[in-house]
Amino acid sequence: MEFFNAFSVSLQAVWNDSGFSAFTVGNGIMIGVGLLLLYMAFVKEFEPLLLGPIAFGCILANFPNTGFFGDEMNVMQAIRYGINYEIFPPLIFLGIGAMTDFGPLLARPSTLMLGAAAQIGVFVALAGAMIVGFDIKEAAAIGIIGGADGPTSIYLSIKLAPHLLGAIAVAAYTYMSLVPMIQPPIMKALTSQKEREVVMTELRQVTKFERVVFPIVVTIFISLLLPPIAALLGMLMLGNLFRESGVTDRLSDTSQNALCNIVTIFLATGTGMTMNADDFLRADTLLIIFLGLVAFMGGTAGGVIFGKFMCRLSGWKVNPLIGSAGVSAVPMAARVSQIVGMKSKPGNYLLMHAMGPNVAGVIGTAVAAGTMLAMLK
Amino acid sequence: MKGDFLMSQPVTTNPFIIMMINMTVVFIVLVSLSVLINVIHMIDPTKEPEVKDAGGGDEEVKNETAAIVSKLQQNPAPAPVIEEGISPEVIAAISAAIACYGISGQVRAVRVVNPNRSAWRQNALTGGLTNV
Repeated sequence: MEFFNAFSVSLQAVWNDSGFSAFTVGNGIMIGVGLLLLYMAFVKEFEPLLLGPIAFGCILANFPNTGFFGDEMNVMQAIRYGINYEIFPPLIFLGIGAMTDFGPLLARPSTLMLGAAAQIGVFVALAGAMIVGFDIKEAAAIGIIGGADGPTSIYLSIKLAPHLLGAIAVAAYTYMSLVPMIQPPIMKALTSQKEREVVMTELRQVTKFERVVFPIVVTIFISLLLPPIAALLGMLMLGNLFRESGVTDRLSDTSQNALCNIVTIFLATGTGMTMNADDFLRADTLLIIFLGLVAFMGGTAGGVIFGKFMCRLSGWKVNPLIGSAGVSAVPMAARVSQIVGMKSKPGNYLLMHAMGPNVAGVIGTAVAAGTMLAMLK
Repeated sequence: MKGDFLMSQPVTTNPFIIMMINMTVVFIVLVSLSVLINVIHMIDPTKEPEVKDAGGGDEEVKNETAAIVSKLQQNPAPAPVIEEGISPEVIAAISAAIACYGISGQVRAVRVVNPNRSAWRQNALTGGLTNV
């Protein structure tokens, strides 16, 4: 009898400690969402490197009684600290900087304007979010989705609206992976066949001096002007300096490969872990995802329209299709410009021309984030 | 005190004013960066002097090429001795490789290496040619 008693009490204790006892419908739905995202990442190959760990983090976050959200330190807590204390986004930017060639931008600085124009999506979504009832800080964090820059979206969300981080990160990365589907119809609708066929002249050679001095000057200028984004821009430019200096190949290699991959795993898994049922299953999430789409479409349209403007001003020397690359999403947005351009006129290579506004978009989104932080924090 | 107020309270909550202020700041910053890039280019001590007239530059290259061609036509280099059995494609590939290396001078002869020669002898021969 005593044996059965002990057996029953132990069994009950195991049950009470198990996840099943505290499992809610919400957890079930979110695990379903995680599985759907895993399917999109690994079967449909939509940004698998990011969406994969985000999806798995989402599944992990919805197991009750794991202690991931308690006070006790564990690896998942450490990953969450990396996000909450804004450690991972600047480290990702270090890797992005080491991978980025600013040559096309240095060869044609006017393309910076396209990077600025594409930020209009950010501010259209910000206004839209305020109109539907989000407060100003939440609206700014939602708007930055239009910049199509995952780390900056996460960085700004943590600072202005940490409770919306999961929805914003998922929206940002989902739309980034959908760039090849979202952008072409907007680009075609806003340009004529004649505009799409504009052939751009070859870019000038950029010297090593320019490549090395540029990251240093940008770091000094932006960090003094917008200190809240000094960590982001500073790391981006440090990575680029490793790449361009020619004497730090090992650091450049580590930044763009090993370190970037490690931090991507942590950042994406940690972002997924913000998607627990309590925070994510709200009507606001759907609104954020919708506003993110508005921001993305607005950014694309803003870049293309400004591209048309530059096309006329330059005497038909700028193809407006490169304007859409002003939303960051490096290098996918530039590839989309190239593909749409090639379809309009085979042999018209726009990729290198589109890389200028594309990397300008990274700087533009960070500047937009910095401006909003300076105004709202 | 004013700074404290600004840090704790947004300056405005009108979405359109915020939108306009932010867009203006983004444009100003990126225009400034564009100016800085141009300044870097201007002060670059390593840049090659720019050719003022691109069309004229092309003309210059054309004239230079024409002068070389005419000089070669006047004093043609003696044709290299080519062993039988070597196709014109092989000769073209060898000439291109030599040109790529930037070696000046003339090709005197092209011949097939004796396949029966030992590796040691072949090495010694190549070394001797290199030393020449």
